[in-house]
Amino acid sequence: MRRTLFACAIVVATAVGAFAQTPRQQLARGQALWDQRLAKSAIAALEMAARDKTTAAEAHEALGRLYTYKGWLQDNVMPGWHDEPSVREKAIAELKASIAADPSRASAQEALRTAEGYAAADAVDPAPPRPEIRALDQRLQSYQTNTAAPIAEVLGALEARAKAQADPAPYFVATQILIDRGEYDRAMAIAAQGAAASDTFIEENLSAYMLPGKSNGSFARGRSQAADLTGWALFLKKDFAGAKAKLEEAERLSQGADFANQFHLGELARTQNAAAQAREHYLNALALAGGPAPLRQRATQALSALQTDTAGAGGFDKWLEAELTRRRDDRRASALKSLIDRPLPKLALTTVDGRPYDTSSLRGKVLLLNFFASW
Amino acid sequence: MPHLKASYAKYQNDPNVAFILVSIDEDMKRLQRYINEMKFPFPVARLTTADAEKVMGIDNTPTTFYVGSDGIVRYMVVGGESHGDSPTRVSWYVDQLKSGK
Repeated sequence: MRRTLFACAIVVATAVGAFAQTPRQQLARGQALWDQRLAKSAIAALEMAARDKTTAAEAHEALGRLYTYKGWLQDNVMPGWHDEPSVREKAIAELKASIAADPSRASAQEALRTAEGYAAADAVDPAPPRPEIRALDQRLQSYQTNTAAPIAEVLGALEARAKAQADPAPYFVATQILIDRGEYDRAMAIAAQGAAASDTFIEENLSAYMLPGKSNGSFARGRSQAADLTGWALFLKKDFAGAKAKLEEAERLSQGADFANQFHLGELARTQNAAAQAREHYLNALALAGGPAPLRQRATQALSALQTDTAGAGGFDKWLEAELTRRRDDRRASALKSLIDRPLPKLALTTVDGRPYDTSSLRGKVLLLNFFASW
Repeated sequence: MPHLKASYAKYQNDPNVAFILVSIDEDMKRLQRYINEMKFPFPVARLTTADAEKVMGIDNTPTTFYVGSDGIVRYMVVGGESHGDSPTRVSWYVDQLKSGK
């Protein structure tokens, strides 16, 4: 038993970073992790630093600033993120702890005034994009058009961006650039790194998603994007069996509701002379909102070319419209079933100002009940 | 939420149909600001996040339930609209239930 515990402790210590041992190193590590927006690990390191007298004031201030961000400033900074009202008190407590540890600490006093201002304010705007991250994004994106630059430069730009902030977006940008350059194997390696980065990033920021459906949706989107790009690279490499497996994996993860993925599946099926399947995928893609205009046009053209006699008298456009309407209707009918066909449970509804909500007037009516949050 | 306002126009004088929004916000100030901004033509009630998860199985927002006049839940729609036809979609559900399907 003792042995097992000891072994676990070693694993945890390694995962958290056995290299940073001194409180000073923990503090630096915690700050660096937070710069990358790896919240969970940053908090763990900063809490360790906060326990030591020599670093307590700095670590409490860093924690206070981190919780201020989580409590008031992170709404939609990343897809699916919301402010976390539950950590607001913690933000203020940490900043006060910093000042208690070092009463002359001006930066903590300023941070505390800011946080207390947020607490009193009617509305707090989310944090603006960080200019240094934006610059690194732009540098990476410049290779979408600068096709003469050496690959090493593209990879360098990816590495610099990924190091600065740990979200998966740059990996997927780089994957597409490499695919466009015909560097399929490298593209697939980067897509796999993107999938791993996506999982880690969401895991590190789980509390920012507020509801498990939101974080699960984000997990699925990261993995689906990686699988779709990998499948598309395999398709271009003419590994059609491999492409099929990956594109179908992405289809499962995105529940058939990703435009690019349905388009890619359509292209694959068309190459395989599976006209009926190709038609299905192109139609699925077009029935979805979104997707860049040139790709929508390519999907429509491909459909039109696959069309032989099924269009009937109305012609292609009429047929297409009818097919898209049918798909949208099917989608409605397959709405999730959990409480379905059961009586609406009794709900302890209140009014917005906290009084019990009287539901007697709703009896016998067709009811639309929409659960929402303004976060 | 604007799509619900658009859909509601069709039912606002219908005594047999009711729309209710249920907020699971924790930040009351933000909720109040949002309500002031949106000026919903139908009531907004509140339920705790914990109750919404436990009683209604909600793990994402928005989640919409369509309940028949017999009090039976008939449809549940989770998440945003990916097909870009929200108001049509909303009245499709309501009309299904009104016609007793």
